[in-house]
Order: sequence, then structure tokens, then C-alpha cells
Amino acid sequence: MNMYRHEFKNVLKSTLIWTLSIMAITIFFFSMYPTFSEEAESLKRMLEGFPDALLQALNFNITAFTSILGFYSYIFVYISLAGAIQAMVLGTGIASREIREKTADFLLTKPVTRQSIMTSKLLAAFTAIIITNAGYLSTAYLMAVIVETEGFSQGIFFMISLSLFFIQLIFLSVGVITAVLISRLKAVLPVSLGTVFAFFVINMFSKSIGDEKMGYFTPFHYFDSMYILQHETYNPSNMILAFVLVVLLIISSYVVYTKKDIHTI
Amino acid sequence: MNIFLQELKAYRKSLTIWIIGVLVMVFSGMSKYAGMEGAGQSLNELMNNMPGVLKAMLGIQSLDVSSPLGFYGVLFTYLVIMLTVHAVMIGSTILSKEERDKTAEFLMTKPVTRPFIITSKLFAAAVQVTILTIVSFVSSLAAVYYFAGEGEFFREILIFSLGLWMLQVLFLTIGSGIAAMKKNPKKAPALSAAILLFTFFISIMADMTENLQPLKYITPFQYVTADMVINGNGIDGIYIFLTCILVSVFIWVTYDRYRKRDLYV
Repeated sequence: MNMYRHEFKNVLKSTLIWTLSIMAITIFFFSMYPTFSEEAESLKRMLEGFPDALLQALNFNITAFTSILGFYSYIFVYISLAGAIQAMVLGTGIASREIREKTADFLLTKPVTRQSIMTSKLLAAFTAIIITNAGYLSTAYLMAVIVETEGFSQGIFFMISLSLFFIQLIFLSVGVITAVLISRLKAVLPVSLGTVFAFFVINMFSKSIGDEKMGYFTPFHYFDSMYILQHETYNPSNMILAFVLVVLLIISSYVVYTKKDIHTI
Repeated sequence: MNIFLQELKAYRKSLTIWIIGVLVMVFSGMSKYAGMEGAGQSLNELMNNMPGVLKAMLGIQSLDVSSPLGFYGVLFTYLVIMLTVHAVMIGSTILSKEERDKTAEFLMTKPVTRPFIITSKLFAAAVQVTILTIVSFVSSLAAVYYFAGEGEFFREILIFSLGLWMLQVLFLTIGSGIAAMKKNPKKAPALSAAILLFTFFISIMADMTENLQPLKYITPFQYVTADMVINGNGIDGIYIFLTCILVSVFIWVTYDRYRKRDLYV
């Protein structure tokens, strides 16, 4: 419990900064919706001249696309980028702190097992993510209700919003495994930013060219908001994939961490 | 010269990983081009008439992905994101890592002046950034010619790469300027990353609506746009001018601040 409290206190400030930043991004994006819906009206009129077959071939459901949920599923990609960076930085940072700050001998000579150290760290990170998601969810819902007066499907809205939590869980475990695998991690940000942006770019690129297979390489694709919008459910196989991935990464983090040599000084 | 070589050596592992990353990205990206050819005239027509927001939503930015350069333009946007992450991170860590790793005293007691140390470090960072630009330029040329067959792309890819280099150098100096200003060495990469993310989000918002055009001047991600280059307009002179000014200011800040400030030991 002491360790949990200590870890949590350590990440609290950055968690609050991240949560507020994500809330700010959300507010900015949602405040652009009125402009968007005006432009969407003109597109709707234009598309009336197009043959149905073409639109179907494009998998282009115009009504869904121009609604607040369509807009939301677009901006959500960027919100989840911010969330993923937070989670990976958190995971890498929390699991490597002793090594970076050369306090490993202090902590590891305490009468606690390495498993319990890992558990406290993971729980602290988990709490931080829950705080972020609570802040995000309330802001996003509030903003959506403010900008869209006609109402929308709340089920889909919450499903998309909740995928932030799942994406963060995946990147948290990616961060933790990275930290325990690199023997002397000196800096958290370069490796975390590089990894998250690489996955983000793979996702955006596979979307731009419509290549589904490429999507399996990136966690951002597992909870693709466009898919949720169209099918009104999570993609079941990707959901299982994400779950297995998180469990595997966490278990291997425990295994590696309990056995690894820890460099001091 | 010793410091310069030492810095190159210190980063060789990370540089190797980045080079591999760029190569994989360029080749696997362009290899998808074959599958995209002949998307059809009506599709392009649809894309051209689409309002800005929806184009941004689909991630196409008025590029014709059925032409080799249009397709490369999409890839280029993502190359810029990745390589600016690298540039801003190396810029901020190359100065701050001495204090982070507690090696500042070792370095500063050597018979060299601080400006000399800064010059060596900035050169080492610039060399690495340039190596990545060259790798991206050569591999892009090879990949575009290999996958697209005939056509004349040399001039455009050269302009793309020069633009990429310009942005890399800009972010490098932003990073080093921040590292020189920040007293706490751990805050420098965090602040640099925050600026990178902030300008990236501004760029996305500027893409979404016409009302936010003035924002294009404050985000480097709008300085080099793929459609301008492909249409033969190159890079707008004002952005080159702006970049030169910003780079000079940040280099001046780096020298001025780092020369005078107390080091964190």
C-alpha cells in the first residue's frame, strides 16, 4: 500500500496535466462541429448527383458520416493519439523510475517481493488512466450535448469514448514491457514518442489507402471508431486480440522484471 | 572534434533504429501503391469536390492517390511527423543529457568553452538529422521509381526532401533552445514534446476549416504541404523565410542561455 501511494503521488501531477490537456483538445475539437455541419450540408447536396453504386463501393454512409458521431469518430483518432502517448509515457516511466533515478537499491532492499513492486506500480498507473478517462468522458459528453442539439445515439458515443480506455491500456502495457526489456533506459520520452507515433502513422496510412491487413500491426486500429460507427459494436476479433495482447505483455513484464539484473549507480 | 565524435557514437544505436524505420516506412508504404492504381476517374472527381473537413476526415488532403506522386505525398506527410519527432527529441536531449546522466561536471571541466561544446553537439545532431533526410530522399527515389515505373519524379522528391530537412532543422533548434533554457534537464524533452504535439494539433485544426487559415503560420506542419509541391508550386517563400528566422532565433537562444546558466548537478 505504501508503494502504491508513493507511485500514485509521483504520477499524480503529470496525470492531471495530461487529463486537462486532453480535455482542452476535446473542447477545441468539438467547438469546430458547427462549421463542420455547415460544410457537410453542401456535401450532402452534391452527393445527391452521384450514383448509389459508387457510394456503396466507397462504403460511404453519408448520413452517419456527417452526423455528430461521424465527426466524433474522426476527431477521436487524434484524441486517442494524445491518450496513447500519455499511457505509454506513464507505463515506461513508472516501470523504469528506479533505474533512471538510481534508487533501485533503495527500493529493492526493502522486504517486499518484486511482484508486489510491479503490482503497486501497475495499479498506480491504472488509477491514473481511470482518472484521465473519467475527465475525458465527462468533457466529451458535455461538449457533444452542447454542440448537437438534435440528440444522438448515446450507446455508440460511449462505445467510441470508452475505446480511449482500451487503447490506453494497450499502450500502458507496451510501455511497461519496453521499460523492463531495455536494461538501462535513460530517457522515457524519445522511445515512447517514437513508438506511439510509429503506430499512429501506420494506422493513418492504412486508413488513407484502405489497407485492412496493415491495421493489425497497430493498436489504434483495434478500436477503429469508424468501424464502431458503422457496426454499432466493437470488432470482436480485434477486441480479443487486444485483450490477449495486454494479458501477454503484462505477464511477460512480471516475468522479466522478477528475473532481470538491475543496474545500480 | 572529440565531443562531436563522442556524440555521434552515443547516438549510433538510436540512429540505426531510425534509419531502419525510415527504410521500412518508405518501402512498405510505396509497395502498397501497386494496389491503388486505377482507382477510377469518378472517384477523383468526387474527392476534388469534397469540402475541406471531409477531405481531412478521409485523410486525403486533395491528393490524387492514384498518381505516384500523390501517393508519395500521403506517405510524405507521415514521414514528416516521424522525423520531426526524432529531430525535436535529439535537439532537446543532446544538450540536457549531460545533466540528466550527471556527466555535466565531467564535460564542463574539460579545457573547452561552452560555446564550443554547444557547436560540437549541434553539429552532431544536425549530421544525424541530415543522414535521416538523405536516407529518406534516396529510399524515396528508389521506391517511387521502382513501384511506379516510368515518369519524372526527381525534382518533386528533391523538393519534398529539402522541405523535410527544413522542418527537421527547425524542430532540432526548437529542442536545443528549450534544453538551453530549462534548468531541470528532465523538463526539456517534455516541453519540446508538448510543443511538437501542440503544433501538430493546430495543423489538424487548420486542415479542418477554412476559418483557421492564419494558424498555418504558427505550425511548421503546414509549411511544406504535399499538394503545393505536386502542383509544381514548391514551398512558399514566406515559410522558408519564417523558418530561417525561427532557426536563427533558436540557435541564438541556445548559445546565449546555455553559456550563462547554472548547470543542474
